[in-house]
Parts: sequence; C-alpha cells; structure tokens
Amino acid sequence: MALRTAVLRHLRVPVTGSNQSQIGFLGSIRAFSSHDDHLSKQEVVDRVLDVVKCFPKVDPAKVTPDVHFQKDLGLDSLDTVEIVMAIEEEFKLEIPDKEAEKVDSCPLAIEYVFNHPMSS
Amino acid sequence: MSGVSSAAYFARRVAQKERVRILYRRALKDTLNWAVHRHIFYRDASDLREKFNANQDVEDVDRIDKLIAHGEAEYDKWRHPDPYIVPWAPGGSKFCRNPTPPAGIEIVYNYGQEDNP
Repeated sequence: MALRTAVLRHLRVPVTGSNQSQIGFLGSIRAFSSHDDHLSKQEVVDRVLDVVKCFPKVDPAKVTPDVHFQKDLGLDSLDTVEIVMAIEEEFKLEIPDKEAEKVDSCPLAIEYVFNHPMSS
Repeated sequence: MSGVSSAAYFARRVAQKERVRILYRRALKDTLNWAVHRHIFYRDASDLREKFNANQDVEDVDRIDKLIAHGEAEYDKWRHPDPYIVPWAPGGSKFCRNPTPPAGIEIVYNYGQEDNP
C-alpha cells in the first residue's frame, strides 16, 4: 500500500495541451443558452449553394462554393441582385444596398452570411 | 481628349449601372411587400424584370438617365406604406430595443446592504 502511493507519487502524467485548447473554445458556448443559433460554416455553404442551385437561370451542375455569378455562371447583374435577395430571404438578413452591391460571387456571399451576427 | 471623355463616359455608365441595380433591388423588395403570396410575387417579379430587360440595350447616356429617373419616379409612386423590414434592422420593430449597456456599468448585487451594512 505504501509502495503503491510511493510509486504514484513519483509518476507524473503529462497534461495534454490539445484538450485544454478545445475546452477553451467550448467555454464560449454556454449550455442551454438561447443564443445557440450561430450557423456553422458548412451549413451556410450548403444553404447558399441550395439557393443558387434553385435559381431557374442557373445550371445546378456548375455551382461550387467558389463560383462567380457573372463570370462563371453567366448571369446578369440583375440576376445577381435577385440571388442576393434570395439569400437575404433564406437567412433572414437585411443587407444594406451598398453591401449588396459588393456581393458578387459565392465565396463573398458565404463569407458575408457567416460573419453576420444575425444570420439564422 | 477623347481618352478623358471616354473615361468620363465609362464612369457615367458605371454609375448608371449601379443606380439601375439599386433601383431593381428596391423595386423587387417593394414587389414582395405588395404581393405577399408567392405565386403573385413571381408573376409581378417577372413583369418587373421584363420592364428592365426591354431597355437594357440603350446606349445613349442621356436617354439612360431619363429612363432611370422615370423608373425611380415609378418606384416612389409605388412604395409600400408598411414595408416588411427584418426586426433587428433599422426601421424594424426590434431595432434599438435592447441596446447593449455602456461599458463600465455593472449591477452590484448586494441585496439591500447599502441600507443595512
């Protein structure tokens, strides 16, 4: 018994740092909070791609997460406006006019939606 | 000379395109405000798109300006009195409802100890 405690006292188990960083990240997420509707990046990507694929003037096979609406999909500037409006409706956002002008391609749209605090 | 004028021409065209895009965006949102049911909205949205497409090949800058001004007058005439705005956006019902309190202010929970120390 004394031997066991003596052995245990001399054994040092190294603390893994990866667990700590993970818990540090999870510490910002509270359990049972009502602020749990922040979207994950993959979900945002999936939903934005769904919106673009459902657009009637778009060929769904060509839609990838890094596609440009006017250059790659051959859409008009008015079509870009329509797509941005559809994304606004999908994520319940209100994009100001100046920002909506700049959203020109899929990666920009995904980034905007993901970084917006109120997207749901 | 012609280089300067063509640069000004292109700058004017770019500004016009931006105006057209903003006008189309607002008109489309307005159409959604008026026509809440989706099938009516789709019909009205295609009509609006036809109106914009009919003038898309005009090259004369002054004529484009007149068309844009005409479109903006039409938009002003048809603006919805009670548009749908997302609640947390300016103009919505939740805007500025619960602003974050200024930094440095905190509530001290001492439960009446200021009267009975």
